[in-house]
Amino acid sequence: MIRYESQKVARYYLGLALILFCLQVAMGLWLAINYAFTLPQGLVDVFSFATARAIHTNTLVAWMLLGFMGGSYFILPIECKRELFSVKIAYLQLLIFAGTAVTAVIGFLFGWTQGKPLLEIPVPLDFLIVVAALLFVANVAMTIILAKERSIIQWMLLAGVTFLAVLYLFGMPFFKDLNVDYYYWWWVIHLWVEGAWELFTAAIAAFIIIEVTGVERKVVEKWLYVETGLFLFTGLVGTGHHYYWIGSPDYWLWWGGIFSALEPLPVALMVLDTWMHIRERKNPIVNPLLWTYIMGLALFHFLGAGVFGFIHTLPPVNYYTHGSQITVSHGHLAFFGAYALLNLVVFYFAMPQLKGIEKFDDRLGVWGFWTMVTAMIFIGLIFGVAGVLQTYLERILDLGYRTAQMNMMFWFRAVLFFGAIFLSGVLMTVYHLFTLKKAAD
Amino acid sequence: MTGKTAKTIFWLGTLSSAIIFLWLTYDFHQQEPKFAKTDQINDQVVAGKKVWHKYNCNDCHTILGFGGYYAPDMTKAYYRLGENNIISIVMNPELVYKDSFRKMPHLGVTKEEAVNLVVFLKWVGTIENRHWPPQDEKFVKAFRLREANAQKLDKTDIIMGACGGCHSLETLGRKIAGDFNDIAKRISYDKDTLVKYIHDPQSVKPGTAMPPQNVSPETAAIISDFILSLKAGKEVQK
Ligand code: HEC
Ligand code: HEC
Ligand code: HEM
Ligand SMILES: [Fe+2]
Repeated sequence: MIRYESQKVARYYLGLALILFCLQVAMGLWLAINYAFTLPQGLVDVFSFATARAIHTNTLVAWMLLGFMGGSYFILPIECKRELFSVKIAYLQLLIFAGTAVTAVIGFLFGWTQGKPLLEIPVPLDFLIVVAALLFVANVAMTIILAKERSIIQWMLLAGVTFLAVLYLFGMPFFKDLNVDYYYWWWVIHLWVEGAWELFTAAIAAFIIIEVTGVERKVVEKWLYVETGLFLFTGLVGTGHHYYWIGSPDYWLWWGGIFSALEPLPVALMVLDTWMHIRERKNPIVNPLLWTYIMGLALFHFLGAGVFGFIHTLPPVNYYTHGSQITVSHGHLAFFGAYALLNLVVFYFAMPQLKGIEKFDDRLGVWGFWTMVTAMIFIGLIFGVAGVLQTYLERILDLGYRTAQMNMMFWFRAVLFFGAIFLSGVLMTVYHLFTLKKAAD
Repeated sequence: MTGKTAKTIFWLGTLSSAIIFLWLTYDFHQQEPKFAKTDQINDQVVAGKKVWHKYNCNDCHTILGFGGYYAPDMTKAYYRLGENNIISIVMNPELVYKDSFRKMPHLGVTKEEAVNLVVFLKWVGTIENRHWPPQDEKFVKAFRLREANAQKLDKTDIIMGACGGCHSLETLGRKIAGDFNDIAKRISYDKDTLVKYIHDPQSVKPGTAMPPQNVSPETAAIISDFILSLKAGKEVQK
């Protein structure tokens, strides 16, 4: 049921992404065990929390990027009404990317690391990632250039992936000055999740909404312009919310505080437009689960990024919450709500078509969705409670780090419990996607 | 709203924010050397930063509040712990955290690396970051006070600054390797043996778990006098 032969490359991207998703969450569970129990020194010496965290976060980024790339390759032919520029490049790029990711993870186990949080991949491997990224951007660009019809979604997608690739470069150099190091670290981390990735998400969401609901393209594209404009307007200067407590001029408190406080606005608009377009749909609902995911994405994106981001973004609050489990709470809700769900929307859109199924049996997938969503809400809330407790014990009662952590133990164990439930939801979802079957009617 | 208005919103929003952001970035680079004391970044600081990266300390410890939340923040660690304690902890975490519910791995950091790390952390501590983290301000203040009155340094300050990472003195320090009041009662060393013990515990008491301490001979002498005086004090009291 795919419309263009070259869309098939997406299948391998999505498959690999799903496997890494499982690995990421399993590693997260291991991190929770590190928090909840005392591990023997011998084990800590050979496989430390630091190594496990590097694997947890890098597999997260890797599977999401794989999903983005696979998703782009699936969507582009439809949007451009032609085959991809080159299927060979797409496979070559996948090979380089996957090979690098596997090497990086094995390297971490042996202590080969750049030693920067979230950007642990050593520089030589970074270059390979850059090569893969260049191949990808070139392939996307050529496909769009050769298309007969131009669309806003096309170039928004291209802008998103180019911006994404360029930003990666800022995490690669060695800076002698830790202060400057972290200034540019946020160009990768913040400008990704609150800039480039949002562009990409908005473009993909717009495309899928047009495809699924049948709403008029002109209307959706207008929303797309306004939303991405607001994302970048608030998100670029909003980077300042990470510069409050480094060595920087005081004006960052104002610029960062005010602009980042406006960041929830475009996310709220996305909820509104998704809801309106679903209500005014022209097409019948064939696969209800896909529609559930689309609405879930909009709402959870708003909860994790909008609400939980806003809570700690103003300087007087952030002074107390910075560097605590509150950040962890937001990080989990936002990444899951915005980017895990976006990827799953793409997967549930693409997988049935790749398998030639129009209406699929969604029972297990529905269980998977609700298990993941419920467990993640609990995980976010529990990290939040632990964070408030930590802030209070350490920064108000002045009890010291270790005493505070000991008093948070109940919550770490609770996170472990819900983490296990979350993992079961992931396994259901991944199994369901891999074994998608026609619905019996 | 027309499509054209929407497009204008996009370009206006994006470009205005990008221009402000790039301008602020330029200004950051102009002003940053003053806040981060970049003139004090020497080769040893850079070497220490490389050690920090090499062992991936940052995925367990936050610094400037960024990184893993599994272990204490390192921004003001120099003020909180002092040189000798940091070196002891980093080189022998399996001893220091023997009874702790959360372990730091034995990473195989060498003496030279540990010394460079301390220099790096000392520089990090001087970054003017609007007094964050709040809970460490008391250590920074106490350190500055001691620094300003070096000649009037309390003996307790010296001994806790050097040994408080493992030993306690009543309410001060960590209760990992015993309180100096109890140790003073127990040991039968004279001053020279104690000084020797501090620098090379194995040579005095083979098999002891205490690692060699990185303190100058003068400091070791002051500390030894102090410990031995605790012993006398206790006997007189009785
Ligand atoms: C696997 C995680 C992990 C790694 C990697 C790690 N540490 Fe630690 N570190 C800890 C834990 C956990 C503690 C606190 C244990 C406790 O208080 O019970 C600690 C404590 C410390 C302390 C004492 C902090 C205080 O205020 O009491 C210092 C200093 C320190 N580590 C430095 C380092 C340095 C430097 C590195 C890198 C060379 C490093 N650590 C790597 C987990 C780690
Ligand atoms: C890394 C942790 C650590 C640090 C730092 C440390 N010690 Fe110890 N110390 C120990 C341990 C562990 C023991 C217990 C040794 C044993 O039972 O054999 C000990 C025991 C001692 C004893 C008793 C020796 C005996 O024969 O029973 C003295 C005296 C002592 N330390 C002095 C010091 C002084 C002075 C300093 C600071 C210059 C210091 N220690 C710093 C870990 C430490
Ligand atoms: C989907 C979008 C988003 C994602 C995936 C995301 C993710 C993250 C992550 C992972 C961190 C922690 C980084 C670290 O220190 O290791 C973080 C920090 C932060 N985020 Fe977001 N975020 C998003 C959107 C937002 C928004 C919209 C806001 C503001 C309204 C926001 C406010 C913050 C703040 C203030 C911090 C710093 C916390 C601290 O350390 O003090 N985020 N975000
Ligand atoms: Fe941010």
